[in-house]
Amino acid sequence: MRRISVLFVIVFCCFAFTASAVDAQKLFGDLRTKVLQVKDYTAEVKMKINVSYMRIPQLGGTLYFKSPDKMRLERHGGLSILPKKNINLTLSNLIPTGNVSVIDAGTATILGKTVRILKVIPEDEQSEIVLAKIWVEEGSLLALRTQTTTRNEGTILMDLEYSKYAEYGLPDKVTIYMDLKDYKLPKGVTMDYDDLAPAKAAKEPVNKKGNIQISYLSYVINKGLSDGVFKVKE
Amino acid sequence: MIQLLRIELFKIFKRPRTYISFGIVTAITFVIQLAMLSDGKSFVGFALQGVSEQFDIHGNIMNGYLIAYIILQSLLIHIPLLVALVAGDALAGEAGMGTLRLMLTKPVSRRKLVLVKFAGSFIYTVLLIIWLAVVALFLSIALFGKGDMINLKSDAFVMVLQDDIMWRYGAAFLFATLAMTTIASMSLLLSAFADNSIGPIVSTMGIVVVLTILSNLELPLFAVIKPYLFTTHMIGWKGFFDDPVPYAAIWRSAIVLCAYTVFFVTVTVLYFNKKDIKS
Amino acid sequence: MEPILEVRGLTKSFKKFRAVDDLSFTIQRGEVYGFLGQNGAGKSTTMRMVLGLIFPDSGSIFIDGKEFNNDRRYLLKNVGAIIERPDLYGYLSGWDNLRMFASLTGKQIGDERIDEVLTIVGLKGREKDKVGAYSQGMKQRMGIAIAMVHDPELLILDEPTNGLDPQGIADMRSLIRSLSKDHGKTVLVSSHLLYEIEQVASSMLIIHKGKKVSDGKVSELLHPDDTLTEIQFEFNADIRTAIMGSEWAGRIVNVDEEQMTVKMNPAGIPALNNWLVAHGAGITGISSKHSFEQYFLSITDDSVIKDRAI
Repeated sequence: MRRISVLFVIVFCCFAFTASAVDAQKLFGDLRTKVLQVKDYTAEVKMKINVSYMRIPQLGGTLYFKSPDKMRLERHGGLSILPKKNINLTLSNLIPTGNVSVIDAGTATILGKTVRILKVIPEDEQSEIVLAKIWVEEGSLLALRTQTTTRNEGTILMDLEYSKYAEYGLPDKVTIYMDLKDYKLPKGVTMDYDDLAPAKAAKEPVNKKGNIQISYLSYVINKGLSDGVFKVKE
Repeated sequence: MIQLLRIELFKIFKRPRTYISFGIVTAITFVIQLAMLSDGKSFVGFALQGVSEQFDIHGNIMNGYLIAYIILQSLLIHIPLLVALVAGDALAGEAGMGTLRLMLTKPVSRRKLVLVKFAGSFIYTVLLIIWLAVVALFLSIALFGKGDMINLKSDAFVMVLQDDIMWRYGAAFLFATLAMTTIASMSLLLSAFADNSIGPIVSTMGIVVVLTILSNLELPLFAVIKPYLFTTHMIGWKGFFDDPVPYAAIWRSAIVLCAYTVFFVTVTVLYFNKKDIKS
Repeated sequence: MEPILEVRGLTKSFKKFRAVDDLSFTIQRGEVYGFLGQNGAGKSTTMRMVLGLIFPDSGSIFIDGKEFNNDRRYLLKNVGAIIERPDLYGYLSGWDNLRMFASLTGKQIGDERIDEVLTIVGLKGREKDKVGAYSQGMKQRMGIAIAMVHDPELLILDEPTNGLDPQGIADMRSLIRSLSKDHGKTVLVSSHLLYEIEQVASSMLIIHKGKKVSDGKVSELLHPDDTLTEIQFEFNADIRTAIMGSEWAGRIVNVDEEQMTVKMNPAGIPALNNWLVAHGAGITGISSKHSFEQYFLSITDDSVIKDRAI
């Protein structure tokens, strides 16, 4: 009897694990399908770059996206500043494509919502993404956070908030966290005007983390964008 | 006094040398604009190397606003020379020509003469700055278009939006006028000491160059005197292109420049009042 | 009559060099006052002090009885001057120069007055030309125009004939005389040449190394009776004895083997000449020079004598 019960427990556990693995795989698949249904969009955005060495006011503009990886910010005559190409601001590029292994890493709570954590490992060894960790709210099938470890660009953490465009899996607000490199130009070149304030009390430690917040005000989805839109004019 | 000033302006603007300065400003501007037209991209590449590893920046970076800023950088070295051409000549030039002697045999107050010379140099400086604004800012905008302005500091990358720039330029030109007025007053003082105009012009340049070097040397020894050098404060106009604008520092700089100006003019009046005209 | 300019105990040193030393003189209204001294004697420095260009170490200056330092600007309204060269704005026209300096005089001066002054100095017709293109004489005349445009009572002219050609010098002399005679001006005129002063001035002052050497009426200082006549002739004992017994004996200043110097009015030279010839003297030369000039030359250097060649 005891043996039977031990065996039962083992079998149950195996089953449960398999079942959860299957759930996780399916959850990821559903999420990916939902995200990939958006082939292109044009969105009015407001962008705020919070980087210690960059003093840039909030930028307004139009963000163009076309699947799988084209993106451009149009500032209507102004300058466009986006994180380097490979760090894309859009979910579809941070979710691995192709065959993947998905591991259920349990649950967590983000902003009062219970989410399931998925660890996704692409099977393609050439993939730029080495590991993606996705916090998914199962009920709405929305990714509230992603942490993507890339081959060349380090780890990118992104928080997403949804409201009006939740059905497309498109966020209203995205915050991307990034590690910063040093910025320093020789004073002889810049000839700075220092405000000579009492020598800035023992140089406050420079914050090596930065983030970029993008608020999407409105989307126009899947209207078909030509590639010409993404040609960069210099 | 008004009559005296009218005469002074008449003399300044009847003289061919006066217009050389306007020509030089135009020439400096053209040279920089040409260089940027032909080689702007590599300049941008160099300037942006600090941020381009992590960010892609696109659009009309080399716009008129940035070019004007680059041209204004030359304020530091070139415009003081041009101001000295007139202010350094104001008293010494007349002493050299001998006309000062003739002038002072007329019932003219020496104090008023100095003040009028200062006022004349000031008006000339204002016109020079206005001309600089026309060719450096408006012409650059016409040539390079508008756009957001990138301002590179040694420890920060500042971006100013294009519809937030014009007032900054207005304020910057006002500040530059104040800085150049300080130069004019110093030139005038040197001019009172001399009997030919080369001395004060060269001395003005020498002082500006030496003090500018001291202002920019990052040595502890000079850190103590730095806040007292007017050259440190002359670039206060740049503050208007920072975010946030360091108003407290700009005010302090403006006060230092005003104090220097008042000091130079006062010493000029006191000295000139007692000077024996031997030329 | 009250003096228009009175200078008392004026002293000025430049570093260790004493340029003017305790100088006093008085100029009466309406006269042409000559100021004589070699170059560097202190004439210009004195004139500059009178005009407030240089500040004296001590002493005082009165114009119209008022102390100059107390009211420099008011008193300068009534003074016109050129000191050394009249340096003008070469890039401006003659008219612009004159107009400009006229407006500094504190008096309302109309275009007619400017025209009038240009006519007086003989520059009418050339007033539109740039002063840079003027000859030295024209500049000098423009200087006079600037000095007199506001109709001042006292004109101070420092070496006004410097750099002028003979015709220019003659014109300048008659202009100075006419300023005094026809326009009632008082003129203080300096020169390093005695005969320049002699021809225009009624009074004069000689300074040497900053100090007053002599002053007074020109007619007295240069009285003809004080002319020195030098006669070169063959001396013999007879003539010498005869002269000593003659009417000229009391006037003989000096006699040696070759010549005799007599202080006398030049009008008497023919009579002396006849007398000498009658007594058998072989005359080889007669020249006359005023004792004052002799004196002036003795205190000045050789260069001044060469200048007399004009």
